[in-house]
Amino acid sequence: MTDLLRVENLSAGYGPLGVLHNVSLTVRAGERIGIVGLNGHGKSTLLKAIVGLTGWQSGSIQYNGVEIGGTRSQGPGRNTHKIVRMGLSLMPQGDALFHGLTVSDHLDSGAYTPKAWRERKQRRERILSIFPPLEKLLAQPVGKLSGGERRMVSIGRGLMDDAKLLLIDEPSLGLAPKISKGLVEALMQIDLRDGAMVIAEQNISLLEGKVSRLVGLHAGKLKGGATAPDALLSEHMHHRH
Amino acid sequence: MDPYYVALTTITLASIYGLLALGISIIWSSLGMINMAQGFTFALSGYGAWLVSQYIGTNGVVVVAGGVLTGALAGALVGGIAFIPLYDKPNFPLRSLIATLAIAMLGSQSLLYWFGPRVKALPKVFGVGSIHIGSAVASYDKIGTIVCSAALLLITLAWMKRSRRGLEIRAMMQNPEGAALVGVGLRSTAMSVMMMTGAMTGLAAVLLSQNFFVSPFAGTMPLVKGMVVALAGGLGSVAGALIAALLIGLIEAMTAVELGGQYVLITQFAFIIAVLLVRPRGIAGMIEHTRE
Amino acid sequence: MSTGQQSTPATPEIGLVGRSRLLPPLRAHGDRTWRRWRVPFTQRGALDYITAFNPISLVAERRIVDKRLLWWLAALLVLVIVPPLFGNDSFIGAGTTFAMFSAINIVWMLTIGTAGIFSLATLAVVGVGAYGTAYLSVYWGFPWWAMWIAGPFFGAGFGVLIALPAIRLEGFYYALLTVGVAELCRVWVVQSRTLGAANNGLYGADGFVPADMSTTGGITLGYFLALAMMVAALALYTYVNGQRLGRLLRAAPEKHEAFAEALGINYRAARIQVFLISSAALGFVGAFYATLLHGASPSLFTMDQLLLLLAMIVIGGIGTTEGAVAGTLIVVLLDKVFIGLGPLRLVLIGAIMLGTVLFLRGGIFGVAAQFKNWTAKRRSERRAVSRGKGGIVMPEEATEIHDKQNIAIGLFQLRLRGELKALVNDALIEEHRTTPRSRRSDNLERVLNYFRMAPMAEKYGVLMVKPFAEYRIVAISGRRGVPPRAVDDQMFTTPEDADHGVFLKRVQDLMES
Repeated sequence: MTDLLRVENLSAGYGPLGVLHNVSLTVRAGERIGIVGLNGHGKSTLLKAIVGLTGWQSGSIQYNGVEIGGTRSQGPGRNTHKIVRMGLSLMPQGDALFHGLTVSDHLDSGAYTPKAWRERKQRRERILSIFPPLEKLLAQPVGKLSGGERRMVSIGRGLMDDAKLLLIDEPSLGLAPKISKGLVEALMQIDLRDGAMVIAEQNISLLEGKVSRLVGLHAGKLKGGATAPDALLSEHMHHRH
Repeated sequence: MDPYYVALTTITLASIYGLLALGISIIWSSLGMINMAQGFTFALSGYGAWLVSQYIGTNGVVVVAGGVLTGALAGALVGGIAFIPLYDKPNFPLRSLIATLAIAMLGSQSLLYWFGPRVKALPKVFGVGSIHIGSAVASYDKIGTIVCSAALLLITLAWMKRSRRGLEIRAMMQNPEGAALVGVGLRSTAMSVMMMTGAMTGLAAVLLSQNFFVSPFAGTMPLVKGMVVALAGGLGSVAGALIAALLIGLIEAMTAVELGGQYVLITQFAFIIAVLLVRPRGIAGMIEHTRE
Repeated sequence: MSTGQQSTPATPEIGLVGRSRLLPPLRAHGDRTWRRWRVPFTQRGALDYITAFNPISLVAERRIVDKRLLWWLAALLVLVIVPPLFGNDSFIGAGTTFAMFSAINIVWMLTIGTAGIFSLATLAVVGVGAYGTAYLSVYWGFPWWAMWIAGPFFGAGFGVLIALPAIRLEGFYYALLTVGVAELCRVWVVQSRTLGAANNGLYGADGFVPADMSTTGGITLGYFLALAMMVAALALYTYVNGQRLGRLLRAAPEKHEAFAEALGINYRAARIQVFLISSAALGFVGAFYATLLHGASPSLFTMDQLLLLLAMIVIGGIGTTEGAVAGTLIVVLLDKVFIGLGPLRLVLIGAIMLGTVLFLRGGIFGVAAQFKNWTAKRRSERRAVSRGKGGIVMPEEATEIHDKQNIAIGLFQLRLRGELKALVNDALIEEHRTTPRSRRSDNLERVLNYFRMAPMAEKYGVLMVKPFAEYRIVAISGRRGVPPRAVDDQMFTTPEDADHGVFLKRVQDLMES
């Protein structure tokens, strides 16, 4: 197995605020990793730092052996599109959708390589087979969809191109338990081929037993390292919820 | 009053105002910047077309192409100076507004220094003459203006609707961070928006210079007109801008016929202020309202 | 207050009480300010003093909180003395232009800053005042003093007209509209024959200079009147901002209007009120312009003149009066000094304006704050990155730590860790594993004492999962109600082993620090 993503000594934050402190994480091809931790402990920041959306960062982030992080203090988002085009796909917490565009426009917008753009019809079909409820909504503007449908659009958009590494931020946020369970099921059905998936999630019970390993993020530091699911950790996480 | 004349004038004016207003509107909604340098782009394109007609050829297509190309370059220049260095800085909307105003001042004074205060006339790109259809008379100018701007408008709208770049621009209008996540580079997209709107302004400059002269300060009036049309249409709305362009063109044509040329601006402003008092977000706000 | 009336309380005598220094109480001790005098008949004063001990030298210091008033007085003194004494006619004329534009800009600040209405029709209001009063003088024979009285009415009347859309429109929408209004006025006066379309302006109005006065005398009189108008504009600005109206508006800044509204502040009415006040003031400036130049010219309404005015406040920094005046000074100087360059000098001014807006956040008066901000941001980023390098406090950081004791504690901890690190070796670790608690060596006890001193948060503990069979190491949260979290998945069978596991972790943390 090769290392798809290697994060070393990553510190990141916004302005004077440091959120992540010396985080190291390795993602190998074919893995599904769950990052668990409480609100405000840096899960989203970790995913955002990987695509360069934090205010500043230091340390190293290597994707397929290419450095995409490094130390930078310039504003967020300047290189995000280049990083995304290397094959990373972030499905953000707030969805970052375009409220006036239709569902099919959204799915198309995810096809950023010329190849994907040409094949966008077939790819749209593939997404619809993963999320059948979207079929009827294709011509609807996204602003009128429900929370669960929006999440499907957001994830579907991330799957339109051949992204190898899928970073999914809080798939269950704001959704009814039944819907979020179904959503996670759908995520687990996605064929990774030689890619990988990282899911940040508060609710550990959603991911338990379904991902290849769980990593805890506490106060901006990774805990439990790269070990197998930690029974005690999860026990006490249950206790918290 | 001759209804054919009014209708024709309305459509001619509307197509030019539409080009100008759409440029301002698209820049505002996709880049969040009010481009006060549109007048400079206008004047520069006029001079570009004039230079082309002086040194390359007076063929209509060549002159129009010269104006459009200069406009695109001027748009890129404005984007490079006022948008790229500022967009991620604090207080961006105000600072970019001031920056474009500074460019307008710098630009028009440079043109004055370079070309002198004497006005220039462009060759008649559509030839001289007119067509008679029944009792209606239409000069080549007006028909050419309508056809050219309608063609550019349609091409632009189709491009925005169908192409990947157009989708990227529409996505960026809605949510810049989300756009970055689907691989849209803010800077390159912004530059393409600026060049596209610059080209539209350039075409408007060539078309309007068929009746007016090219001068360093020729851009002020088109800027003001384009801006109020965009404002009345609701900044950021394509449909609103087009409807407003038609209405304001109609008012201009009617006022010129019924009251006299000097009242044009006053009736237009009365109309715009009335629209804005009812709908502070312009006509597009009205459309959205009825849709709900 | 006992020391209140002394004239030189700056450094009280420092005596010794036992071994410590005696620091006598200061006037208005602490962060409170005091003042020497106040404006008669009001509760207000200028020049607030603060008295405090210098945190480093411990010498009592008295300083003025806000020295801007002194700067203003000095600048005004220079303006009163220098141009009439040393300048020729054209220099004094430039001074008049400067003072008049300063007055306009100060009033404009009232519109933009206090009322938060981004109006670009400022010069148009001045123009309406000038044209209106010139009209009254030319056609109705108004003398100059009646024009001055009529000016504010024209300004306020036009203000009512253009304030109508301001009720509904926000920010930039309104800015765009006002540009159009100015252009509308220009087209109107250029085309109207009664307003002097043929003469390129409406001229022939009465002037305030007496007929028997010399040219230089007239120019000097104009200069002093313009200067007085500038001071009046400053007074108006201070007055509006200091009174209820200004405070209401300060409570309702842009994008936070809803909060003010929830408190019952009718910010819209307050904004319009300030807008009308400033319009009336601008109308007066217009009347002054008409009496100074004996008429009005359409150039008041041109986009170029508007841009020049904008360049002034942008260069100086939008939002402050000193910025408005300094920017005006710079632009007027450039305009007059390089008059031989023709349009190029406007290019130069435009370039300076562009440079200012591209690189400076708040004009030239914001440079210091921006630089401070930048260094602070840099420093905090660096510090956030290098957090955990031990307890060394850099001298420049020391000024930011309120409790100076923390600096000493940090240094002490650093030295202590250094000494303890030297003590740790394999033998010591082995000793901890094998020796019973009561018979430990001095060195081991020292190391353990240091570990025991650690704060509760993140302190390691041993969790008994199953008695006498399963123990784990946890980190204590340090917060009430928050359970400890697991540190790793090591398992120990006896409490002693777990204890040693904790020790090893602590030693590892110590050696890494």
